[in-house]
Amino acid sequence: MKDLLLVVRLVVIEKKDILYTILFGFLAGIVAISLFASSGYLISKAALAPPLYTMTVMLALLKLCSILRALSRYAERFFSHRATFAILGNLRVSFFEKLEPLASGILQKYRSGDLLSRIVGDVESLQNFFLRVFYPPIVFVLVFLSTIVFTSFYSVYVALSLLAGMILTGFIVPILFALRQRHIEQGIQSERGELSTEVTEFLYGFRDLKIYRKLEERERRLLELSDLYIREQERKEGLANFSQTLNTLIANCVSWAIVALGAYQVVTGKLDGLYLAMLVMISLNVFEYSIPLAAFPVHFEDSRRAAARLFSVVGKDATMKLEPDSEIYNLDQDAISIDINKVTFSFSDHTRPILNQVSLTLPAGSKTAIVGPSGSGKSTLLQLLMKMQIADHGRILLNGISVDRIQEENIWKSMNVVLQENHFFYGTIKENLLIARENATDEELEAALTKVQLDGFTLDQAVFEKGENLSGGEKQKLAIARTLLKGSRLWLLDEPTSSMDALTEQNMYRHLFNQAKNDTLVLISHRLTGLEQMDQIIVMDQGMVVESGSFTELMEKRGYFYGLKQIEKSVLF
Amino acid sequence: MNQLKKMAFAKRRTMFLLVLFACLTGAVIIIQAYYFVKIVDLVFLKAASFDAIELPLGILLAVLFARVIFMYAGRRTGIKLASKVKREVRETLFVKYARNPIQTSLSGQTGRKVSTVMDAVDEIDSYFSSYIPQIIQTAIVPVVILLAVFTQPAYSGLLMLITAPFVPIFMVIIGIKTQKKAENQMEKMAAFSGHFLDILQGLTTLKLFGRARQQTEAIKKSSSDFRDATMEVLKVAFLSSLTLEFISTLSIGLIAFELCIRLVVFKNISFFSAFFILILAPDFYLSLKDLGSAFHSGRGSMGAVQKIADELAQEEQSISWGTVHLPKGSPPPAIEIQGVKFTYDEGDFSLKDLNVSILPFEKTAIVGPNGSGKTTLLHIIAGLLEPTEGLIQMNKRRRSEYEEKSWFTQISYISQNPYLFSGTIAENIRIGGDLGASMEEVEKAAEKAGLSGMIQSLERGIDTAIGEAGRGLSGGEKQRVALARAFLKRPSLILFDEPTTGLDLYTEQILQASMSELSKNSTVITVAHRLYTIQDADQILFLKNGRLVAAGKHKELIETVTEYRNMVFAQQGAGTE
Repeated sequence: MKDLLLVVRLVVIEKKDILYTILFGFLAGIVAISLFASSGYLISKAALAPPLYTMTVMLALLKLCSILRALSRYAERFFSHRATFAILGNLRVSFFEKLEPLASGILQKYRSGDLLSRIVGDVESLQNFFLRVFYPPIVFVLVFLSTIVFTSFYSVYVALSLLAGMILTGFIVPILFALRQRHIEQGIQSERGELSTEVTEFLYGFRDLKIYRKLEERERRLLELSDLYIREQERKEGLANFSQTLNTLIANCVSWAIVALGAYQVVTGKLDGLYLAMLVMISLNVFEYSIPLAAFPVHFEDSRRAAARLFSVVGKDATMKLEPDSEIYNLDQDAISIDINKVTFSFSDHTRPILNQVSLTLPAGSKTAIVGPSGSGKSTLLQLLMKMQIADHGRILLNGISVDRIQEENIWKSMNVVLQENHFFYGTIKENLLIARENATDEELEAALTKVQLDGFTLDQAVFEKGENLSGGEKQKLAIARTLLKGSRLWLLDEPTSSMDALTEQNMYRHLFNQAKNDTLVLISHRLTGLEQMDQIIVMDQGMVVESGSFTELMEKRGYFYGLKQIEKSVLF
Repeated sequence: MNQLKKMAFAKRRTMFLLVLFACLTGAVIIIQAYYFVKIVDLVFLKAASFDAIELPLGILLAVLFARVIFMYAGRRTGIKLASKVKREVRETLFVKYARNPIQTSLSGQTGRKVSTVMDAVDEIDSYFSSYIPQIIQTAIVPVVILLAVFTQPAYSGLLMLITAPFVPIFMVIIGIKTQKKAENQMEKMAAFSGHFLDILQGLTTLKLFGRARQQTEAIKKSSSDFRDATMEVLKVAFLSSLTLEFISTLSIGLIAFELCIRLVVFKNISFFSAFFILILAPDFYLSLKDLGSAFHSGRGSMGAVQKIADELAQEEQSISWGTVHLPKGSPPPAIEIQGVKFTYDEGDFSLKDLNVSILPFEKTAIVGPNGSGKTTLLHIIAGLLEPTEGLIQMNKRRRSEYEEKSWFTQISYISQNPYLFSGTIAENIRIGGDLGASMEEVEKAAEKAGLSGMIQSLERGIDTAIGEAGRGLSGGEKQRVALARAFLKRPSLILFDEPTTGLDLYTEQILQASMSELSKNSTVITVAHRLYTIQDADQILFLKNGRLVAAGKHKELIETVTEYRNMVFAQQGAGTE
């Protein structure tokens, strides 16, 4: 609920549109009811053969009501949707502002895309909050109350019946079903998750399932799961159907009660028979405004869940902030030295440490390569250097200052990073390059492209989302071009050329090393070729440093690195 | 599309029920209106006593209940219909996917297929649960109302008949005009949320380049641009419902006008008839308008319906099997591949005219650069792909003559990414052999595959659950589970598809030992990357661009085939440079 209040706060920013929406919604409702009321009255009046002019006035009024109603509906729709889209924008901005300062560790955790798209979906589903949850009850209550006040002039009993109807259909029934709804929704989500997982496994494991003759069995299992899922969905829809039916039933009963009470009052002379048809017409049509409320629980529940999920992402995970009392240091623009002192790190959900007592010294301006099998902790070490993760134990010093005391922004500013996966945005090559240096001229950008052998590309060439239209090698080249443009003094490169062939790789390294001549450079490499020029090679395995030294030293030692080198030689493709 | 419609209409009982409930609803609407009017008429004009209206009031209450019950029953029938159809569609999809040959299941479209089975099937729900019932309602209820109105001495029925077609006509006209625009806008909407996702996904990159904060403005701007563009389209859409509203309210007004004139001026209609018609008129136009909203929800499902129809329409060539039984534990077959060609449906890769023979217990290595067709050849030998042309024989019989089940009991296929299913380690190993394999046998297989150490370190031992997609195991451990499966199965033909790629030194050594142990009693065909595997092979198949360049032992090939020699030396040379 608290989360929904936060959403409400974002909704009410659009005061003007909300006011218009409610105003026109109310107008549309009240005019529609007047329309039916007046037509009921008109017929009764006509039956008594009144002078023609009263009829003319009444009919004119009727027409006016029709037009006014249609126009109000139009205005209501217009303003409610405009408000909705504005709210969607507010939600996005506000959520982004909350997400942006969060520690990158959280982003790393959610990078899988699945969660991010869920976030986007949740933000989107919250746009229904205003349209289906926020304003319809307000309009409903206003229309009903006005109708009740109006009818009370003719018959208090009728007014009271309507009031009872309003409370029952507008509040009691929806709340009752909202509670049961929540329960069912959980069932649906878990059944859906299970089915979806099994379908994915079925497809991914297809070959093994086929060979092990388990396809039919899995197929049966899938069908069983699908049945369970459908059953849960059916329960949900059944419940919604039941709630709608109950609502209609109550509305019908109220209409009936109004006829019965009205008729009784007419018979006993407490009500002029002239108004009976009018009251009947009102009761038959006013409940049209409680119909949308039958769906209210579903939308309310959706919004509540979406809001809870969203704010749990940005709320719970504590940001990795500087300790309040620590002094803030800045890195200056010289080459940076790195000291890693007995660093241990493990992800919270893994027991095995990813890094175990790692100590390294990388002097300013040195060139270091880190090699080792996948899972040996190389990339994690790099993340610790970037302060995207924080070590459990041990210290990391940049230029002798602990990373804890340097602001992330400042660290990143002094780094040229190429990750294994680099993000490219929907837009053009130029836009993607300008991220690195905002004021770069076209010539500079083109020069960078030429250096990474992408001179075939034009600056305004389109880039799809996540760079989908670029090959792995092109993405890596583009990522390198970005770092070349950025021109910071500490280079952290995580397998930057893994998708390039040997010759291109050499070329890339030539440019990189040329520009990084006086800078500190750390390179994680999957290949062992071309490491002769490095000052230091660090061999890692299972989170520990197994060997370190220059290329010749390690080869002479005939240890782990030598073994790796031998394997590399035996690989044919 | 038609296929799905047929599915719905094939449920005759359901269809009959829907029609029945629609007719009953129509009837009840009439009766309800009749009694409302009767009561008002009695007390208002006839000045009847309350006793006189007790019976009509009773009937009215019963009718109101009946209307609600029919409404409930009609909707329930729709929901049931949707459930049935969804079940059938999923079943059809599962059967289709299960019959697929390997090529389509490997073509990287798993995500799309999962979304078809899950989302698309869910989305067709409203087509069956609301669209079809609504169509039936709209076909019946207005007609019933119209008939009732025609029993009354007025031209209102005629007015209804004349004005009614305007509702669907305008719906169609406006629909055609806005549809395209609205669909474009939907695409934009998707692109717009895609853009937001793009920014979120790239947040790390943006932060690394110190550009994250500026994005707030960009989001704000794109949001408001999008809002303005969308409102332009929505305005048109709202205008269309405005028109419909005008048509129906003006028609109702027209009818009220006619009734008044008759009542007051011509005095040729009773209050009863006039009020009766006046109550029925909104119901008449409401059910016509409902058709519009049903169309809307129906349209929403169209995309999903189309997606499923496309998926079902896709043809796949299935693999043919025969009836020849291969008893378990048969000696390895002699494999003869004659003139085999294979072309994928998509892309231009093909295997060209392959002739190979593999003797029982031989160790064969398939080598060649990426994309040379190594895995495809392995799939063809395994019986996972049907060659486009040519002949594969096992022991002088075509592979297609063998019984599918007994053929697959003869082979093991171990790839780079063996798939582990949710379940315990034991269950994952057992999937390899008969389900009846004893725990002892399973444990022995695990031991041979070098799993015992890991199993002992686990609290629950061999009964430890390994999660979704086998998460929680390292690459090497996964391979060992796959090997344990093979140890349990004891196949006569083992196919290795580069199982040790990407593993560290130590793990690879252990795996190699297990693999050679496993290979003792079988024919082994390996897609090879490593020199030592190749040096040990009885026969090397050197593939390039789908063509068999050479076949023979390593030494022979080095001596006689220049291309092979160049390749081996070039790679080694590059390594020592």
